[in-house]
Amino acid sequence: MERPSPGLFSHIEPGNAAPGSGRLAGKSVLVQPNMSVRGWPTAAGSLALEGFVALEDAAAVERLRAAAANVVGSSRMAELGLGLVGDTAASAVAENLCDVALVTDTMGEARHAALDAGAFGFKPSWGIVPRIGLIGLAPSMECYGVVAKSLDDAAGVMAALAGGDERDPSMLQEGVPDFSQVRRGTSSLAVAGVIGECLDALEPAEGDAFRAALLRLESAGIRIEEVGLPDFHLFRTVHNVIGATEASSSAGKYDGVRYGHRTASAENWNEMYLKSRAESFGTLVKAYLFQGAYFQFENYAAFENACRLRRRLVGKTEALFEKVDVLVSPTRRAGLEAAAATTIQATYDAFALSLPANVTGQPALSLPGIAGNGDFELGLQLVGRHLADVQLLAMGARLALLEP
Amino acid sequence: MDYEAVIGLEIHVQLSCATKMFCDCPNRPGDLPNRNICPICLWLPGAMARLGQESLEKAVLTCLALNCEIQPRSAFDQKVYYYPDLPKGFQLSQFHKPLARNGWLDIPDEDGRPKRLRIREIHMEEDVAKLTHEVEGRTPISLVDFNRAGAPLAEIVTEPEMRSPYDATEFLKALITQIRYAGAAECSMERGTLRADANVSLRPRGSDELSTKVEVKNMNSIRHVGDAIVHEVKRQTERLSAGEAVVLHTRLWDPDRGLTTPMRGKFSGPCVPDPSVPEVVVSEQWLAELRSRLPEMPTQRRKRFVAQHGLTRQEAASMTAEREVAEYFETVAEACASARTAAQWVANQVLPALEERGQSPADTPVTPERLAGLLALVEGDEITMNVAKQVLALLFGSDQTPEQLVEQHGLKQVTDSAELEAIVDQVLGANPAAVEDFRKGRKQAIGFLVGQAMRASRGKANPKLVRQLLDSKLA
Repeated sequence: MERPSPGLFSHIEPGNAAPGSGRLAGKSVLVQPNMSVRGWPTAAGSLALEGFVALEDAAAVERLRAAAANVVGSSRMAELGLGLVGDTAASAVAENLCDVALVTDTMGEARHAALDAGAFGFKPSWGIVPRIGLIGLAPSMECYGVVAKSLDDAAGVMAALAGGDERDPSMLQEGVPDFSQVRRGTSSLAVAGVIGECLDALEPAEGDAFRAALLRLESAGIRIEEVGLPDFHLFRTVHNVIGATEASSSAGKYDGVRYGHRTASAENWNEMYLKSRAESFGTLVKAYLFQGAYFQFENYAAFENACRLRRRLVGKTEALFEKVDVLVSPTRRAGLEAAAATTIQATYDAFALSLPANVTGQPALSLPGIAGNGDFELGLQLVGRHLADVQLLAMGARLALLEP
Repeated sequence: MDYEAVIGLEIHVQLSCATKMFCDCPNRPGDLPNRNICPICLWLPGAMARLGQESLEKAVLTCLALNCEIQPRSAFDQKVYYYPDLPKGFQLSQFHKPLARNGWLDIPDEDGRPKRLRIREIHMEEDVAKLTHEVEGRTPISLVDFNRAGAPLAEIVTEPEMRSPYDATEFLKALITQIRYAGAAECSMERGTLRADANVSLRPRGSDELSTKVEVKNMNSIRHVGDAIVHEVKRQTERLSAGEAVVLHTRLWDPDRGLTTPMRGKFSGPCVPDPSVPEVVVSEQWLAELRSRLPEMPTQRRKRFVAQHGLTRQEAASMTAEREVAEYFETVAEACASARTAAQWVANQVLPALEERGQSPADTPVTPERLAGLLALVEGDEITMNVAKQVLALLFGSDQTPEQLVEQHGLKQVTDSAELEAIVDQVLGANPAAVEDFRKGRKQAIGFLVGQAMRASRGKANPKLVRQLLDSKLA
């Protein structure tokens, strides 16, 4: 029995299996078509993977099913998860077509999509959810992100997803947060830090809306403290240089031979590769790959510098948590639509406030309805210490109860 | 001008592991094409590489066998190149942070004195798929076999310190012996489990500059490595003497024509740290454990065989060339009176017989214990040397003891004087010309008569007694 696709889905699983009992029984989860589900088309939003059908379930999908979630289908997505152009996860959540959508978070995509859906967006600490079967672009930046209207649902999905897997050696094998503690956890949030350099970058109207949100936090008994991070402006460059370089390597496998689009005619294999790749990638990814190839082939020193700066940024950001419990900022800028960003410049502009957490690997939660005004929604983003995911979600739960 | 050659080797060794380097597929490249494959070694989207413990172990053993300093932390890079044998677009290889550095091997120089050759580094890397180029009708096609994709390799890079083809081939022989001793790899150039590329350049003798090098590939035996270097040195000498420059490139050795031909421009792709394969951490404790698993290595063992078993240096060298042979020899030597006899028997009788039958010292019905039993019969004058050789052949096809075989085939040495006398009388009667010769003073004729007597006894007569009898009868 075929069901008509409502356009938001790239695959709908026919006939909902009756799941057994488990933490996520009765919950429906939508994945992206770069998250492998055996037998499903898995094109990752790219012609380069057109026709590719996953051979195995991603580890995350195994875990969702083991927790009795109903994996209902896959959304449409931006090419290889870079940005949000063409992504439908937000609409699916907004229209209640699923309880939770998983969105690949490479520079803040899950948090931005959540704002578009009026929902919570959570990016966990890097290294706590196995990435086996996640077809991404910049491995050190990306992870599964969660979009849900209910924080309970987000925490429930995270409880199912988190935990070591020996098949993914890049993961942390210990120290993985226990997400089943979120509901019981009482938030000890007392001090929220605001990075001065981040605040300075906002337009006056954005600054006003964000300060109004800070006042609401203060009225809830949270002390606000301004902290300094002079290197804040480097996050964007570091993300771009490392992300593009990793992308150039990891997209090297897309040659149009075993799957994906292959050019109609070529004189020899070399030309076949060149033409297939030229025809496969969209302009955003292609430009990104060009940048990455530049750093790989022509300016490796810049890549090495970026890696050094990244280590410095991680150290300095983690050090801020000696003074504050959480860092707060807007999730996004006003008027810079991630879903409309089709150039690298526009994409990095749109994600400038969310991508630092991808550079540092720290957990980040975006809350809707707190920072904004009638004209725009900025989102209130909380960033926690690495592996302090549970405390972060508990703080989010407390703030979500603030009177509008 | 007088030039000297500057030679460095890059040697790929396929580690003898049960599985591939980053997945659990069998490490058997020779199986039917594309049988030993999975999403990881097919490099399909979403797959993740996980370094296998055995690959690391065998690589570390290789490094220890070559006297290298193991680095506590090493890491894998993505070595980018685009070719149909690598549809992932990059090879996992330890470019920036290799597993080991600063190794060495001693070889005997052309005058027999030890010469130390240094190893710059050893790193792990995965092998790529194997391409076979064929023609289907009139269309050239290339077939890709992924059985080899992801096979575990150790790449050994020497310092450019070799000065002659002799140095290079001796180094290879020593390296193969060391790695085989460590049990880390088979190291057969003929079977493709060891591949050696040579970087060759020339410079005016006495200079210490490094000039443009040429890489020579495609040698599939140690002899070819020597021949290819000889040819390449000659080719470069001719070029330089004619005032032409040597250009950086890669050449292929053509064994049939005995020359090298240019291959392709040297391309070295970029290497970026792999973001998903974690650093390789080798702890002191684990290293000590691996060290303790190394057997006594050949140099040491050679010295000990001379001191403990009284072998000559040459005998000791031949008994230590292979670990299996050394262990076989030593078991035999400890069970019989003369270690030198044991060494001579192993070298001259047993090894050729094993080779003929396609067996190895570790896997033959002629166990060291049975050989020792046989040698004990020789030493006890129970059988003659010739009979012992016959019994050795019988041991291959029987599970009886040497004593039983001697008994059963009636091969016991004849020492009974009446029986011997009858044989000697018969020989004297049948060879009057030789007897005449002897009496005329041609003493060597007695050797002929001894031979005849041995023959008449089917090798069983005790040659010493036969000689004595003949002496007394002819006196």
